[in-house]
Amino acid sequence: MTLLSPEVIAVLMLDGILFFFASLAFLLSLRIVLRWDERATTPLQYTLQKQAYLVATVIAFIFYLKLPLFLFFIYTLDLLSNILPGAMCAAGVTTATVYGMPLFGLKIANLYLFGLWLAAHRIDMGYPTMPYTRVKFLAYLLIFPLFVVEEALELLHFFGINPHVIVSCCGTLFSAAKSSAVSAFVSLPLPVTLGTFYGLFGLAVWAWRKQRPLLSALANLLFVPVAILSLIAFFSTYVYEMPHHHCPFCLLQADYRFVGYLMYAFLFFGTFFGMAAWLAKRMGYEGWRKWLLFSVIGDFLYVALVSYYPIAFYLKNGVWL
Amino acid sequence: MKNLFAFALGSLLRRGAKNLFIFVIFFLMVFVLASVFMVTHALKKEMFTTLSALPQITVQRIVAGRQTQIGVERAERIARILGVSQALPRVWGFYYFPRAGVNYSIVGLESFGQQYRADLQKAADLYVEKLAAEDVMIVGPGVKKSLAEHFYPESFLFVKPDGSLKKVRIAGVFKPQTVLESNDLILMENSLVREIFGMDESMATDIVVRVPNKEEIPTVARKIREIYPDTRVITREDLRISYQNVFDYKSGIFLALFIVAVFTFFIILYDKASGLSSEEKREIGILKALGWKIGDIMRVKFFEAAVISLTAYLLAVTAAVAYVFMAQAPLLKHLFTGFSVLKPPFALPFTVDVGTLALIFFVTVPVYIAATLIPSWKAATLDADEVIR
Repeated sequence: MTLLSPEVIAVLMLDGILFFFASLAFLLSLRIVLRWDERATTPLQYTLQKQAYLVATVIAFIFYLKLPLFLFFIYTLDLLSNILPGAMCAAGVTTATVYGMPLFGLKIANLYLFGLWLAAHRIDMGYPTMPYTRVKFLAYLLIFPLFVVEEALELLHFFGINPHVIVSCCGTLFSAAKSSAVSAFVSLPLPVTLGTFYGLFGLAVWAWRKQRPLLSALANLLFVPVAILSLIAFFSTYVYEMPHHHCPFCLLQADYRFVGYLMYAFLFFGTFFGMAAWLAKRMGYEGWRKWLLFSVIGDFLYVALVSYYPIAFYLKNGVWL
Repeated sequence: MKNLFAFALGSLLRRGAKNLFIFVIFFLMVFVLASVFMVTHALKKEMFTTLSALPQITVQRIVAGRQTQIGVERAERIARILGVSQALPRVWGFYYFPRAGVNYSIVGLESFGQQYRADLQKAADLYVEKLAAEDVMIVGPGVKKSLAEHFYPESFLFVKPDGSLKKVRIAGVFKPQTVLESNDLILMENSLVREIFGMDESMATDIVVRVPNKEEIPTVARKIREIYPDTRVITREDLRISYQNVFDYKSGIFLALFIVAVFTFFIILYDKASGLSSEEKREIGILKALGWKIGDIMRVKFFEAAVISLTAYLLAVTAAVAYVFMAQAPLLKHLFTGFSVLKPPFALPFTVDVGTLALIFFVTVPVYIAATLIPSWKAATLDADEVIR
């Protein structure tokens, strides 16, 4: 390995532990899915019921560790940008290998999936018969491969970074000039970008007013990419107060008072509960109204925070960027 | 939830002796790890403070793969490159004082001339008349002390390359902003340094270049390389990256070895947590008979692990702060600074950042909790009827 930074070793070690537990949970889930029969009174069924507890605990452990570990992962990438020539924030480090971007996307997706799994588990535990046990563990069997891919990508990424090769800075990665998916969005006309962003937020609020969890889940699902892309295209420039600095990573640095961590926490909180509320309603859990409310609060806090920067900029300077 | 937590605390206290053992081991592990990272971090900070005072570009002449003296006339040519505000030849070197077993860094300065560093400039301004008039030197606090110990309280006799002696008086003590690099520093007039080292008037050790605009540094460095192909051009950024890598490498190797210890501890803990005494089994059986669910017992076990590991973590980090910054990390510091005999002592600056604390947290506390997961599940799924029977 060319990078022997203690942070990288720590991340890899913890992911190793997580992988061990996830595999254990996978094997147990496989047995539960195949042999589960809630009406049986055999010793096997009895053992399976006990093992279901272990699997659920292990998955809870994975999720609650993955959440802060994800922040630490970003922090590690930020630190590595000090070593890699050309990189000025985590963006350069992420794109240092081809695996970086998929790894990032998958990490976020897995956070949602593990979180939703836990939400479903909590609801299921509320019923005396645990009717969703089989479905739940089947779902885990489907999540596990994604987790394995994430781990593999992470290894490939960290071992693939060559500290002697110059990487790109976020200034070039997210500029409108390059022909990538992101730059296409950056160069979209502003009314379209902002219209989609505030439109989806409005839709989520409306879904809450009308108590439509499915609509809310769809709106929130779309809201995640749209929020991040509009952050790159529009809002981030106001945080940096520089018209050409489009970057979703520099927000996480001390220069901007780590505001990015707060933004992404709000966004995750809001959109996660937006999706979880629909799941809850499908599973017949009464708490879904509360979750829908959580979702709107999280979304609102995110929108308020990112909107504050352009408005404050306009009030101070009297012009838009 | 609150009651379960209270129960967990009570259960920890009831079995104090067994838990104390684990607590002490875990405390020691976190303490060692935290001390190492704090020392590295403090040294890194000290180095970077030093670094920010260094010139943007240093030019050295290389002959046969070795650094050698560089002609002073090159400084004038380099100063004509656009974007360069100043190019100064430096005369400096190391003087080995065998009786103390110490290397002093002797740095020359041009009295009445411009200096490449603000702190040197200050010193030069202060003593300019004395430096120009007679053979005197300004020394760092460490030099002053070691000279006094070897009976040179007022002046020192330097041995020149031809064996003759040169007497230089101490004119003052230099108080620089960071101690790591300046403790062993001796400042003198350039001509005096040349005399002691036996260098020619037209030669210098290296040339330092000041470039006001940070963005132009790589271009200027490239131009210098093109004009003088026999030189090695080092920018401040190069130095920063290599320092960072050295420290990362040292603490990385340490952590890699430490992980072995972490896993050993993991296994001990796993074993310890799995072996329930018959009393504990009875307790769990009674709780379950009273209507506790598997989840409740697992929660209590989790609280126990969390309380032990978090308390140990907090205490160990506090102890490490005291050890590193108040006691100045005896034993550990030399692991990172190298030969302590040659380097005059210095103080570690106080720095604790969230990133380091998070790093220490992540390699210890989750591992502890992970090790208790399976044993606590095993305990919680004991059959009530079997254990109370």
